[in-house]
Amino acid sequence: MHATGTAKRCPPDPSAPEEGKVRDKLNGWADPPLLVLASLAGEPKHGYAITQDVAETMGVRLSAGTLYAVIARLEARGLIEPLESDDRRRPYRITAAGAQALAEQSERMSRVASLARQRLSANLGWAGA
Amino acid sequence: MRAGAGRGVRPSASATLLVRAALAVYPPSWRARYGDEVRALLDDSGGGAAAAGGLAVRALPAWFWPSRHLYDRTDPSIRMRASLATVLIAASMLAGLGLVFAQLTQLQGYRPAGHPVIGWCYTVFDAALAFSALAAAGGGLPLWLLMLRRAHRDLRPRDSASLLAPVIAPAVYLLALIMTVRSVRGADGVSPWWFLAVTLAGFAAAGIAAAGPGVALRRMQPRGSALHLATVAAALVAAVMLVGTAAIVVAVVGLCLWAPSFAGYHDVTVPGIYLILVVAAAAVTAVSAARGTRAAFAKPGSRHT
Repeated sequence: MHATGTAKRCPPDPSAPEEGKVRDKLNGWADPPLLVLASLAGEPKHGYAITQDVAETMGVRLSAGTLYAVIARLEARGLIEPLESDDRRRPYRITAAGAQALAEQSERMSRVASLARQRLSANLGWAGA
Repeated sequence: MRAGAGRGVRPSASATLLVRAALAVYPPSWRARYGDEVRALLDDSGGGAAAAGGLAVRALPAWFWPSRHLYDRTDPSIRMRASLATVLIAASMLAGLGLVFAQLTQLQGYRPAGHPVIGWCYTVFDAALAFSALAAAGGGLPLWLLMLRRAHRDLRPRDSASLLAPVIAPAVYLLALIMTVRSVRGADGVSPWWFLAVTLAGFAAAGIAAAGPGVALRRMQPRGSALHLATVAAALVAAVMLVGTAAIVVAVVGLCLWAPSFAGYHDVTVPGIYLILVVAAAAVTAVSAARGTRAAFAKPGSRHT
């Protein structure tokens, strides 16, 4: 999976404008398919609930265009599936293949995060957030 | 399951209109599958012009990389008919653009000295156009005759008229063209404005001629070996047209580089716009033909796009 573009971070802390700018630049790296899978790993949700959950828990605001481009792609690959719905707000749930993909990707990210923390600590004296 | 508690902000009429306009540029199958959900999401989140703009931008990848699950997985004939209708329109536009190129270059007898590549491109384009016309006629004729007979037998005058559009529209256009050129022609031929008018009218006639069978395909839903043959022929037409497109691109770029004094080739704006249109028509033709061919050769029960 790779990033699809227009995910936006929620506004940074105004008390740290420079830090906020740097964080904004790095936010383009957010991976919307991964965010959607992570959101659906909790429970089935419809489009609006996914955007709310991703914004509240992961701090990234997904636009409608990005969200449904991701949903279409994940559904085509069998990583999520739609549930029956009585109204226009159709919920989606993660499939077994989606859970497997999310677990693998999370493991990979965890290793990268661990390595990054180790090196930051060893070389730059960074003690962590 | 999380409830659908939206913010309940009623979007304005203009916002609703913008969202509808943004959704209108998506492929019909995408719109049919996700349109209502996207509208519900934007109703809940109170999406405005920015959200509609972002939505419209995402339509482009939806066209170029269509999601395979949005198409019927068990009946390839649906995909083949849709591809045929799209290829008819796109290939007609491409042929029209090619004819404009031929009229403005090779029919003027212009070949830059010392650059035989331009002349080769003219030959390649002519051969591609002739071959694709033969392939389209040979592969499409059985299906066209089959549908025409069925429309006649089942007393479907609207479908008969749609199917006859490829004959009637060009004939009417040519008749009008001959009469117009006779009446407005001066000593140096027709003026640029008249040329533009007859060119645009030609594209309109080509569009009508190509849309007719597309409408009939949708309404009559033919299937079987004639549909397969037409789909394969469409792929052949698309492949040959791609070669013709490459010849046009090389020739136009060559004229801009080597013969800027010829016609308007010193200014790259018009040739650039022309090339964008040519490449866009070629891309739509190729993508749609490839998807139709994949469906034609798909094993029963397998997934295809």
